[in-house]
Amino acid sequence: MNLLRGTGTRDLPGPVRSLLSVHMPALAVGLLLLVTVTASAILQPGFFSPYGLSASFATFLPLATIAAAQTIIVLGGGIDLSIGTIVTLSSAVSVVLMQGDDARLPLALAAGLATGAACGLFNGLVVAVLRLQPIVATFATSSVFGGVALLVLPTPGGEVSPVLTGTYRMVLAMYVPIPAVLLVVLFLSWRLLRGSRYGQHLYAVGGNAEAAYTSSVPVSRVRVLSYTLGGAVASLAGVALLADAGAGDPTLGTELTLGSIAALVIGGTRLRGGSGGVGGALVGAVVLSLIQGLVFFAGVPTNAREFVYGCVIIAAIALAGLLTARDGSASGASGGTR
Amino acid sequence: MGSTRHRNMLGRRWRGSLALGAAAVAGTLMATACSTPEGGGGTGETEGPFTIGVSNGFIGSEWREQMLSELETAFGEYEAEGIVDQLVVESADVDINGQIQQIRNLIRSDVDAIIVNPNSPTALDQVFAEAAEQGIEIVAIDQAVASEDVVNVVIDQAEWASLSAQWLADEVGEGGRIIAVNGIDGHPANEDRWSGASEVFDAAGVEVVANDYAEWDQNQGQTVTRDLLASNPDVDGVFVQDGMALGAFRALQAEGLVDDVVMTGEARVGYMREWDAQRAEGDYTSIGVPNPPSVSVSALHVVIRMLQGEEFTADGLDGNNAWLPIPETITDDTFDERFAEVSDENDAYAVDHALTPEEADAYFE
Repeated sequence: MNLLRGTGTRDLPGPVRSLLSVHMPALAVGLLLLVTVTASAILQPGFFSPYGLSASFATFLPLATIAAAQTIIVLGGGIDLSIGTIVTLSSAVSVVLMQGDDARLPLALAAGLATGAACGLFNGLVVAVLRLQPIVATFATSSVFGGVALLVLPTPGGEVSPVLTGTYRMVLAMYVPIPAVLLVVLFLSWRLLRGSRYGQHLYAVGGNAEAAYTSSVPVSRVRVLSYTLGGAVASLAGVALLADAGAGDPTLGTELTLGSIAALVIGGTRLRGGSGGVGGALVGAVVLSLIQGLVFFAGVPTNAREFVYGCVIIAAIALAGLLTARDGSASGASGGTR
Repeated sequence: MGSTRHRNMLGRRWRGSLALGAAAVAGTLMATACSTPEGGGGTGETEGPFTIGVSNGFIGSEWREQMLSELETAFGEYEAEGIVDQLVVESADVDINGQIQQIRNLIRSDVDAIIVNPNSPTALDQVFAEAAEQGIEIVAIDQAVASEDVVNVVIDQAEWASLSAQWLADEVGEGGRIIAVNGIDGHPANEDRWSGASEVFDAAGVEVVANDYAEWDQNQGQTVTRDLLASNPDVDGVFVQDGMALGAFRALQAEGLVDDVVMTGEARVGYMREWDAQRAEGDYTSIGVPNPPSVSVSALHVVIRMLQGEEFTADGLDGNNAWLPIPETITDDTFDERFAEVSDENDAYAVDHALTPEEADAYFE
């Protein structure tokens, strides 16, 4: 990127240069999306068929949702390694309460959401008030949440309400699966949050906590709330997983943690915080899922698939990093399109 | 903070147009009916040649390697006869979400049948239903699932564990104290096995003083056994599941307890070598109940007959389980003979067994 900025954009007029810098991360992830979608359309039979779309979006949504949750936390300068187990625990609570009964669905969803938010709040307090390093603190709480999930749901089981699974697989107007609609809803909700006062505080705290503090931003409160919100959104990923799976399992979602981080990095969010956004993370999650499918449909031999998948992910992250990496003032602007 | 203002302006513009777009989309959607799509998938043909998909959600264990390689060999024989044409293998370390994606990939690859080693007995129900709606036959191996769309071709895990548990209970006698090294807490096969074993111990009056998990891994088996022995020095026996017995043995060896503490063994070559060495030295006694990786081959025989339109006999199917016989247990009496059969294999090799095609025929009318 230094190369590009050093030689490529130096001669460009100011407005063009600033436009480029604003759109670069969006450009990077947009390009990745274009490439992966095109490749999928070529390689996967029936990719654009109603079943193909419905199956794809059903797979995207849980990862996209947890990536959104992680992004909110990362933007505020934190990170949450327990986020996968928050999904596990909240889905376990939901499914235990649901008992396959539609009438109990609202109660179960509310309890799941409350569980996610409570886990997030706990993380937030540990990180912001006890001032433990987030990466270590949340690694520890991940064992706590995972352990509690096993107490709540000791063995796989628990039936998901038919309304939930039925709705999740529904397709509107032939070609628009419900999970795709939910993805858009997720993005619009993020735009609302982003535009709010809290959204500004979040970027300010993640970008430079001391400066934010001197501008009388309630830094600790913003951080705690970012973890709480992240936990609540993560519980929604748990609902999506339950809807997709049809039953509970005490390991459901546990392994999504690293995927959530990969997705947001591909989406142009900086792990140091303060720069990026949920929009990019959502697209990053879609790209990540598509790559996984592509490795299969490209006919890579079974034993080489993990290797190829890993290499492609590194390439995707490198591309996102190359086009996103910048320092100082420009980094603030890079969050603009999200 | 100039950049912040810039961002906000941009944000507002985006929000406006997005909200408009979303409203338009929502309007269109409201006006049209909803549906649940069905994909291309299998067509219910009974002629063949058939395409078989495999979904395996856990790799890096030799048992799974053996499961897949034996399946490929057996598939080659059917391929030579022109009964099947393609084996599509999805095998990777995935969580449940990942395995759902694996199975969807297989559905979209137009397979006629899926052989799955499931990561969850329940959480794949929805995707199994998707596959079944498209006429795809599904068999689960190693781990039974709840879904009625699936035929489980499995051994009874509770019975499997109760065989070695009974032997251990007889060895330590009533009032004996044992420690248990199990697989993964909450894992369905683990729960089935432990419930089968616990029942035996309760009935025999054997006290389980400690129980821990070593994830079916020899190294962890060694660590966990060592820790359990350290905190419970006066035990008479060790109940350990397969894949960890060699580790447990090494822990006993390190503590000098091989002659004092009796343990359940495993039908794998690495452990059997130690067993063999101990037999040469003294009156070592153990047991190994095989858990055959070639359940995949048995499942292939069964699923091909399902594809050919054959119906299960009343006895062939118990609920949705086609029970496989548990292979003959390796005991002190049969050890020499059984060890001779496999002593050339590498340490990770598991004593194997599969249905013959003729035995598979017996499940059908």
